[in-house]
Amino acid sequence: MNTETEYITPVEVIDYVTEPVVRVEHVTKEFVTGGNRFRALDDVSLEIHRGEMVAIMGPSGSGKSTLMTILGLLDVPTSGSYWLDGQDVSKLDRVQQARVRNQKLGFVFQNFNLLPRLTALKNVELPLVYGRVGAREREERARQALEAVGLGTKLHNRPNELSGGQKQRVAIARALVGNPSMVLADEPTGALDTRTGAEIMALFRELNREQGITIVIVTHDPEIGKQMDRVIGLRDGRIADNILQEYYHVNLALEELELPVREMAPVPVPVLKPEQE
Amino acid sequence: MFKEFVLMAIDSLRANKFRSLLTMLGIIIGSATLVAVLSLGNTLQSQVFERFVDLGTRRIAVLPGDPQARGARDVPGYGLLSIQDYRALEQLVARHPDVFRTIAPEVSLRVQARSGSSFANTTIVGTTKEYQFIQTVPVQYGRFLTDEDDRQAARVAVLGALVAEDLFGKENVKNAVGRTIEVNGQPLQVVGVLRQLGGPFSSDQRILVPVSTARLRIAGSQDLPGRGLQMSSILLSLQSEQEVARGEALVRATLRATRNVPEGAIDDFRLNLPTQALSVLAGINGAITGFIALVAGISLVVGGIGIMNIMLVAVTERTREIGVRKALGATDGDVLSQFVLEAVAISVAGSLLGVGGAIGLVVLVGVAAGLSVSISWVAVALALIFACAIGVGFGYYPARRAALLLPIEALRYE
Repeated sequence: MNTETEYITPVEVIDYVTEPVVRVEHVTKEFVTGGNRFRALDDVSLEIHRGEMVAIMGPSGSGKSTLMTILGLLDVPTSGSYWLDGQDVSKLDRVQQARVRNQKLGFVFQNFNLLPRLTALKNVELPLVYGRVGAREREERARQALEAVGLGTKLHNRPNELSGGQKQRVAIARALVGNPSMVLADEPTGALDTRTGAEIMALFRELNREQGITIVIVTHDPEIGKQMDRVIGLRDGRIADNILQEYYHVNLALEELELPVREMAPVPVPVLKPEQE
Repeated sequence: MFKEFVLMAIDSLRANKFRSLLTMLGIIIGSATLVAVLSLGNTLQSQVFERFVDLGTRRIAVLPGDPQARGARDVPGYGLLSIQDYRALEQLVARHPDVFRTIAPEVSLRVQARSGSSFANTTIVGTTKEYQFIQTVPVQYGRFLTDEDDRQAARVAVLGALVAEDLFGKENVKNAVGRTIEVNGQPLQVVGVLRQLGGPFSSDQRILVPVSTARLRIAGSQDLPGRGLQMSSILLSLQSEQEVARGEALVRATLRATRNVPEGAIDDFRLNLPTQALSVLAGINGAITGFIALVAGISLVVGGIGIMNIMLVAVTERTREIGVRKALGATDGDVLSQFVLEAVAISVAGSLLGVGGAIGLVVLVGVAAGLSVSISWVAVALALIFACAIGVGFGYYPARRAALLLPIEALRYE
């Protein structure tokens, strides 16, 4: 094996270290509902670096979903700046936003959002269709992406023929197929049972470790938060420190509460049957 | 890319087959009407008019020249037609079977006809068997004149319906065949009675006899000096309406030569051309075609509105799908194209079904009625182009609504 290719040149190292994938500065997002202005994000600044696996956590209403939509260029901030891959993307028009979503971002949703009439392969090809990739290359890349998530045998199955975990794997393959700078996952285990959820998290971790893919997961689940390189906490639209610890304490408290409850569970009582004659 | 969108559009048609079919109904009917009417139009028109109305669209009538007309030469018997002219034209007809169908003379005389004590002041027309192929003279009882009658200058007559009524009484018309009438003192045997048609140009008030009979037995002094029997008019029928101009030129040249009309002098005869009848016919045909085209147009527009309606439903139903597509990088233009193409797919598919049905119908009618029919490919193209336009026109608004959805709102849509 030629070990020389294993080295990273200094320039790449500097680039790697200094240029974050995401740089958000003083981002504010306001919504107007019924004449009232509601500030979902209030002066949020953060950086996410290449190869990081980060959770965005916070209670519901904390603004984590809003932050996700802004990071995903599905919405624009009211004020502030957002650099993605060194490009200022906070002032793009709709077509440019679509292009950036297509080229630099991969989305994984809680409820999979696969198109039901398309096979797994066709679902995964979709971002490449919008990226104007030719049919043959498209199919080849989609096949590779599905093989990478362990679904090489389910290429031609429709979503309704797949289990929840398999659907989410298809969605992950779809997020990866365009070689994005970052994968954004919104509660990716929310619709899955614990074991399948753990498998999906393991897949994310594997993709992050082995392929260096930058992954941002929005979650309220502290168990997922604990597996992350870093947790960005949000509360009332602002960055909050120690959010995981808070969760952790709450959960510990809950667990302590549950223990005696569990012990008080009713014991089966033998039922009297009428005696046989 | 375009191919992808087309495949998507076809796929979404197949996803809702029954709904798509119902949506297409207006387009199907509109396209079918358009193609069927434009294909059958010409055939039906000529059939209808040939059977029910004789507008004389294929007839040239040669009439005597007017001695009072400007430029008329001052010669004895100026303008009168004779059997010489008829013979010359007869040869012309024989030489040009592609232009002319047949020819018949008309020797009209005012006469008094008598049967017993009944009188009728009427017109007797000497002609040949060919007359029935030029004029509308349907025989109700008995038969029409034959060549044999003409050769023998037979004492036979075919009576117009009103003449027969005058002579025999209304209730005895059906028994008129075989009876004898007297015209200018000459006995004639009734061999046929015509059906009553009504109108100023019908033969209801005429008696038809062989031209030879008219000349030899009735006309008496009708011969022109040195030119034979005088004729009231000569009728020529053409193979088709398209031959009017050619027929006219041939007839004119032949007559001028036969009648020795000097170069530069005006015609000493008149030609009654069917141009006016043709324009009436074209007018009627245009009105009918226009009306049916209007119906087809209305049903196409109604079909378009149906498509718009269903596309608006589809956009609402598929809001999430639109959100997903946008998240994956579909631009507004991509979404717009997708939905417009879907609308076009519905309308074109409907149009194809309609056109297919119309072609089937036209062929069926052709076989059933024994007509030679041809599909109007112009109408087919027109129907398809129209369907495309309707798909784009009525699909655009729903597609635009889809395209302008904000990705985040579309994704959150429940």
